Amino acid sequence: MATDPKIADSPIREIQVEALVVMRIIKHSTTSFPTPATGCLVGMDIGSQLQITNSFPFPASNPENQQTNSNPADPYHQSDQAALSLAAPRAKSSATYAGEMIKYLREVNVDAQGVGWYMSCSMGNFVSQAFVENQAFYQRGSEEKTVALVFDVSRSSQGSLNLKAYRLSPNFMAALKDNKFSTESIQKSKLRYQDIFIELPITIHNSHLLTSFLHQMPAAPPQKSALDFPASLAELHHDPNIATNPLAPNLESLDLSIDPFLEKTTDLMLESIEQHTTEQNNASYYQRSLAREQTKIKQWQEKRKAENVLRGQQKQPLLPEDEWQKLFKLPVEPSRLELMLVGRQVEQYARQVDGFNAVVSGKMFGVRGNLLPGEIA
Amino acid sequence: MSRFFHGDSSSESSSDEEELYSGNEAEPKAEAESSEESSDEDDDDDDSDSSDEDGAKGTGASRFLRDDSDESEEEDEDKVTVVKSAKDKRFDELEGIIRLIENAEKISDWGAINDHYDRMNRQLPTLQRDLDGKAPKMYIKTIAELETQVTEAFEKQKVTPKKMNPIAAKGLTALRQKIKKINREYTADLEAYRKDPEEFMKEEIVEDTAPAPKKTKSKLLQAEQALDANDDGFTMVGAGGKAMIYTPESILKHLRSIVESRGRKNTDRLEQIKIMERLLDVSVTDYQRVRVLITLIATRFDLTSGTGSQMSQEQWKLAQEGIAQLLGILEQEPGIVVIEGAEEWEDDEKQPVVGQDDLVKVPGSVVSFVERLDDELTRVLQSIDPHTAEYVERLQDEGSLYIDLVRAQLYAENLKGNAKLEASQENINRVVMRRLEHLYFKPSTVVNTLEENTWKAVPENLDSKVSPRSVGHDVQDLVQVLAVYLFNNAEGILRGRAMLCQIYFLALHDQYYKARDMMLMSHLQDTISTFDVNTQVLFNRTLTQVGLCAFRAGLVYECQTALQDICGSQRQKELLAQGLQIQRYSQITPEQERLERQRQLPFHMHINLELLECVYLTCSMLLEIPTLAQAGSSPDLKKRVISKSYRRMLEYHERQIFTGPPENTRDHVMQASKALAAGEWKKAADFITYIKIWDLLPKAAEIKAMLEQQIQEEGLRTYLFTYAPFYDTLAVSNLADMFDLKEQKVTALVSKMIHHEELAAALDQVNGAIIFRKGVELSRLQSLALTMADKAQNLIESNERVLEQRTQGTSNAFERQPQRGRGGGRGGRGGRGGAGQFRGRGGGSGFTGGALGSAIRAQ
Repeated sequence: MATDPKIADSPIREIQVEALVVMRIIKHSTTSFPTPATGCLVGMDIGSQLQITNSFPFPASNPENQQTNSNPADPYHQSDQAALSLAAPRAKSSATYAGEMIKYLREVNVDAQGVGWYMSCSMGNFVSQAFVENQAFYQRGSEEKTVALVFDVSRSSQGSLNLKAYRLSPNFMAALKDNKFSTESIQKSKLRYQDIFIELPITIHNSHLLTSFLHQMPAAPPQKSALDFPASLAELHHDPNIATNPLAPNLESLDLSIDPFLEKTTDLMLESIEQHTTEQNNASYYQRSLAREQTKIKQWQEKRKAENVLRGQQKQPLLPEDEWQKLFKLPVEPSRLELMLVGRQVEQYARQVDGFNAVVSGKMFGVRGNLLPGEIA
Repeated sequence: MSRFFHGDSSSESSSDEEELYSGNEAEPKAEAESSEESSDEDDDDDDSDSSDEDGAKGTGASRFLRDDSDESEEEDEDKVTVVKSAKDKRFDELEGIIRLIENAEKISDWGAINDHYDRMNRQLPTLQRDLDGKAPKMYIKTIAELETQVTEAFEKQKVTPKKMNPIAAKGLTALRQKIKKINREYTADLEAYRKDPEEFMKEEIVEDTAPAPKKTKSKLLQAEQALDANDDGFTMVGAGGKAMIYTPESILKHLRSIVESRGRKNTDRLEQIKIMERLLDVSVTDYQRVRVLITLIATRFDLTSGTGSQMSQEQWKLAQEGIAQLLGILEQEPGIVVIEGAEEWEDDEKQPVVGQDDLVKVPGSVVSFVERLDDELTRVLQSIDPHTAEYVERLQDEGSLYIDLVRAQLYAENLKGNAKLEASQENINRVVMRRLEHLYFKPSTVVNTLEENTWKAVPENLDSKVSPRSVGHDVQDLVQVLAVYLFNNAEGILRGRAMLCQIYFLALHDQYYKARDMMLMSHLQDTISTFDVNTQVLFNRTLTQVGLCAFRAGLVYECQTALQDICGSQRQKELLAQGLQIQRYSQITPEQERLERQRQLPFHMHINLELLECVYLTCSMLLEIPTLAQAGSSPDLKKRVISKSYRRMLEYHERQIFTGPPENTRDHVMQASKALAAGEWKKAADFITYIKIWDLLPKAAEIKAMLEQQIQEEGLRTYLFTYAPFYDTLAVSNLADMFDLKEQKVTALVSKMIHHEELAAALDQVNGAIIFRKGVELSRLQSLALTMADKAQNLIESNERVLEQRTQGTSNAFERQPQRGRGGGRGGRGGRGGAGQFRGRGGGSGFTGGALGSAIRAQ
């Protein structure tokens, strides 16, 4: 990954996340699931490495805090929880909250530099306008080194941690700053949906204390030379050697669960395609109306020209020929941003399925290897 | 006698006639004048003052011309020095106003001109009456001059920056508009005036004196026959104010004058009708009566020529009686025929002799009269509120109208039968069509009564070849005979209408299969769009009626499909011409709206819209609920929508948070749908049978029983669709209990479903059970994947379309722009070789066609 030219441009090239942060994010995200959870990351940057040492949730993304900021004039009004928590990172109240929080953290000697934010998602459906705006909010500064961590709750529940770090590419940032997503500007900047994000490699760092604890865990490997196969699943569960040992191989992780995963992904993908079709319709509608307007303008210009020729013959002053700008109003081109995001989202889903397949095949080969002892032994 | 004149003096005629009157007549005349004079005194003073001033100022040709006309009047006055006639006084007044206008013109006081102009126009109608409907020359001259002046002033005002004073400006604009409007009526006169003013003004004198001899003549007539015409000492007074006496000899002459004044402005039609009624009393021969009646009926119809007004009942009745009388005469006197295109009898003095070998032809058309009578009644019925007693009263007139129709038909047949006349077939067709249109929407009992009454009213000796007396007893036959006659003899629209009427009638009388077969064989649905709107409406009505007929016969599917087009569109009212639909975003011009209003059917012909909706929704429910259950959650089956409007309502109903007890028909059906979907057929049946509107249908109880059975069956189907996945086996007897059906019926239904592959199951006939097979249906993932493949294909296709647009439809798009930095282009670069290979191997496996598709595959 380090060879990726995109990463080379970025001020940060790798992310180091403290295990504590990972645990916090997991906890926060799973409790608020299915509403996405958002929170602030603190830490420091050393050269091209960004170390994330602590995190705290934004109050708006916490369902329990919901009551406090409800509108007193309309107590029954409930704004959409998901939208609210997605908007939290760039909300003003969150910014002050984060400032306060960082101040307190400094007092207890914790790294006190905001280095980004995190959010949770389900099945990789994080690519949205809100996400882009949030990250753009953090990435506005000139000397910033911020990152967005995305934790996928649904996929992590299947046994393997799914935590990704993203930044917006400088190209995309420039386009977003001018809010120019017309066909022309996109063509000029050669911006593609693949270029929206830069994914950064993550390493998880355990404190020395924790590492030594892990090393000291009382886990004597099985003494027996030959494994006697368990008679049933129940016996396996009751085996004290496995049940009490947290580090013993977990059978759950062999669970394939192909159908629910693929169903969900396909559902989401269908949704995205639907959205894409809508956007495409918008675009083609725009194109049709543009063509209509242009023919009108052309007609008008020709008429005006003919009139001017006539006037020239009669030695009358010519009429201005650029009046059409006042008379006709071209339709506003719809932003292509949404379309690009949809494209990126579909790509995300596709990659997800790809990755899933790799894991599933790995698992299946693993199981097969054990089930057919003759082949290996 | 004096009373007559007193009231009528305003329409008094020229003065030379007055000389001939006896002295006692002149006195009340003067009296009338004096009273008028006192009321007009103020005006007159003003007028005379200003006219004096004006006299000095007038210059040029116009001044001279007016003097000329003054003189001509003075000549008239010379003759009558004792009393000044009202006519002259009015002319003086007009002159005064004209002078005032000219005065004001000089100082550009447009406000004043405007006032005077209005006054002048108010006077005009009376003046026109004096001059036999012509506008006075003076008037024409003035308005012509005014027009030029106004146009000039208006132009000037536009150019000069100086503002006119606001009152004058306002007057000018108002005047300009008025002149534009009014002058249009006198275009011919104005042109004549403009061409040669002097010639035009001169003519007047000649014309003024011209009518004199004629009037003298009528006066003489009066003198001769005053006594025998007026027993009670009163004299009939004609439009000219002169006493009119009618004799059999002069009838034709009077008629001629009336006919000539027809269509002109300011003719008093009521007056003419009175005259003609009188003439009818006087007339002795059948020929005269026929002539008078024809004109009289036409004039009665003329009374309401505007589109907004309807004929009053009294006039309509009189017209109807007139037609009946006319037909009576014609039936008795075969020597006279009323036929279109006959030559006018030119000689007023001599009358044709009836009774010889050759027929006396009178121009006119009985059929047209009857048609007009029918139209008028329809128009009246359109405008009356159908829930009033008046409507019923007017509706009763239909009986007599129908009698006239039949008699007109007989007469038309009679004419057709006469070889010498070459009467056209078209007349019979038209009148038969009318008759059919009065029959087709009525239940047979009503038609029976109508027919009986009609034949009672028709003279015994007459019979019809088209629809003989004997046919009238069986209504079905009658309609059949009439329709077949039209189908054989008419063409085009009439044929189509006859067909539709017969189908409607059949459908109304529960002969579904016959009606359906005729409907299908007529192929009218292919050509109906080329017909006129009324026929299209008839087509819609027929289709609806066929649908209702299918419903009564228990054919739910057929009913739903028949009603789909009418009821699914939310425009029932418009399509059936049963009331205007107010559309929110409609851009209907008033003209269109007026036409629409004219098309509306009278209330007694309406098909009950609520019943229609109820039937449609019930049928939709019976079809949709099992389909919805069958579709389940799989995404691609959701597309199979039978009735969009029903689905919309169902969705709306499901969105509601709280559903109270049903209030209207729609609520009932919706709640029944919910119950049916949940397998509670009993509840659904209760909801449906509780709807009150079923009582409007004949045999309501049978229909309710039919509906209940349908609900049981569809409930069973729905249940099986919904709950089949949860069963391994299911006893037929259980199902039969659950839905209160016979076991055979359940077996039949299940077999049918298995056969149609709607249910993955087998029947175990030994144990009387249904055994469901598992795993036959697509899993959710599989169906999702299929949908996904579809969507992806669509996406590719739309992409290709966009690309094609950009490349102007060049077949091989990728060849033209291989280096574009777009994603597709990049794919294309790799794909070109691949695509070629695919083609070489015989074009891929059909995943997608097109360049982009193979490009993607090749990647």
